[in-house]
Amino acid sequence: MIDRINPLAAPVASPVETSPADLVRGAGATASPAAEGADFGAMLSSLASDAIGAVKKAETISLAGVRGDASVQQVVEAVMSAEQTLQSAIAIRDKVVSAYLEISRMSI
Amino acid sequence: MFDPLQVTLKIGASGLEAQSKRMRVVSENLANAQSTGHTPGADPYTRKTISFESEFDEAMGASFVKVAGIGRNHSPYRVEYSPGHPAADAKGFVKLPNVDVLVEVADMREANRSYEANLQVIKQAREMISMTIDLLRSG
Repeated sequence: MIDRINPLAAPVASPVETSPADLVRGAGATASPAAEGADFGAMLSSLASDAIGAVKKAETISLAGVRGDASVQQVVEAVMSAEQTLQSAIAIRDKVVSAYLEISRMSI
Repeated sequence: MFDPLQVTLKIGASGLEAQSKRMRVVSENLANAQSTGHTPGADPYTRKTISFESEFDEAMGASFVKVAGIGRNHSPYRVEYSPGHPAADAKGFVKLPNVDVLVEVADMREANRSYEANLQVIKQAREMISMTIDLLRSG
């Protein structure tokens, strides 16, 4: 388990501040992605690239909307979907980071 | 495979698009309610109609709405006696468009209501998605 989580050490630049109570409650939810995926780092980077892809698509369509090539509905749909992808990516990241912190604070 | 809530957003968007095309047709009809021909006996603007159909998307397993086609309404034109008009025929009658402004306004209201309903669907689905993502945050 620990060596699976180890690759995470590099991507985690700014660990979020979480209360001990949060960490205890968050532990169960985040343990499963690590057990399934190859490693945490790969999972995080694919999460990030998904979010970046959605934002890029939203930017392209917004620009087309400004030019008048895309309808208002299309622009709103793309931007909202990017926003949602980003929100879920951030929520998952926070969970993963708090699980990592919890394990790193464990006294052996 | 597809998240039903995401599919709901896409279906709602197809409804918005269909209703906005309907508004376009209504606006054409209203704007041209007085458009006559400009040669003697020429036909005036003919009212446009729009019809919708459902389109089944195999990949998402859902029915979207799309515009089936924009047609012409060939009901008789209104006729008015106006000998001085450039489009008046030999007897002095001018053909006016077969657009009934009241019908167009009613159609516009219906497009507006339908657009609102689709927007409401999108809003609700978004809220449900956000609520679910928020489970991760507070938990």
